[in-house]
Amino acid sequence: MTAYLDTGDRRRSADAPPRIADLIDEATIQSIAEEAWSALVGEDEYLVPLPGDPLVDAVSSWVEVVGPWTGTVVITTARATAAELSRCLLKEHAPPVLDDEDVDDALGELANVVGGNVKAVLPGPSSLGLPEVGTAPEAGTDVCRVDLLWRGQSLTISVQDSAGVLTEQNNQQKNEVPL
Amino acid sequence: MKILVADDSRVMRQIVIRTLRQAGYDDHDIVEAEDGADALAKVTSEKPDLVLSDWNMPNMTGIECLQAMRASGSAVPFGFVTSEGSAEMREKAANAGALFLIAKPFTADTFNEHLDGVIA
Repeated sequence: MTAYLDTGDRRRSADAPPRIADLIDEATIQSIAEEAWSALVGEDEYLVPLPGDPLVDAVSSWVEVVGPWTGTVVITTARATAAELSRCLLKEHAPPVLDDEDVDDALGELANVVGGNVKAVLPGPSSLGLPEVGTAPEAGTDVCRVDLLWRGQSLTISVQDSAGVLTEQNNQQKNEVPL
Repeated sequence: MKILVADDSRVMRQIVIRTLRQAGYDDHDIVEAEDGADALAKVTSEKPDLVLSDWNMPNMTGIECLQAMRASGSAVPFGFVTSEGSAEMREKAANAGALFLIAKPFTADTFNEHLDGVIA
């Protein structure tokens, strides 16, 4: 009779959260974003899958997904590009001078719509948080990112785990005592 | 007909109102609410004929607003316009008494599809 040494590897592997690369790919994220752009920004607005120039004065909007996979869906672009997007969303209701609240609202709503549709692709049940705007939350190591150009300006969409959550999980795994 | 549009995003409220007009519903009065609690109060004060509401909102969510409306005896037609359209949420919405759930992003055609039977 052979005695097997249980190192805990199999259990740890089974308990590990799913990796985002196994759940969604860049093409799906781009497709979701294109549909949102067409409906909200304008029918003739296109997202080109090319990396652009490094962002100056970047701003991000994001929504959190909490479920079997937990993380955030983040849109990052230059504040000037975010303002241009806001004008497109508001159309005739755009004021001559946009205030920060309008720009944050518009960019947040784009993250909300893209995030809601990303959530639909991920395993459930899961919940979606309210959109937030500011400096993007730090990503961990589990990231699916698409670099896009809208009207020639850089815009990235990331589906990313939370650095804090992953660290905590890693610590927990490191602290596990092998049986 | 009076339509109450509830969404915590002012930009999205404008988009919903614009889409209503694009879908041909351009001769109705529109009232706006900025969250579920505001919507619930305006259902009483404004007496709308239809409520179009987001789901995720601060203070009171759309589903909590609908549940509170029905608990208070209000039978005002109610539909969701939300960024999430999972089968689970559609079932929850229907069980609470919603007529439909329109997932964002939407088009004028989507509005026609769900509203033609509701807006005379």
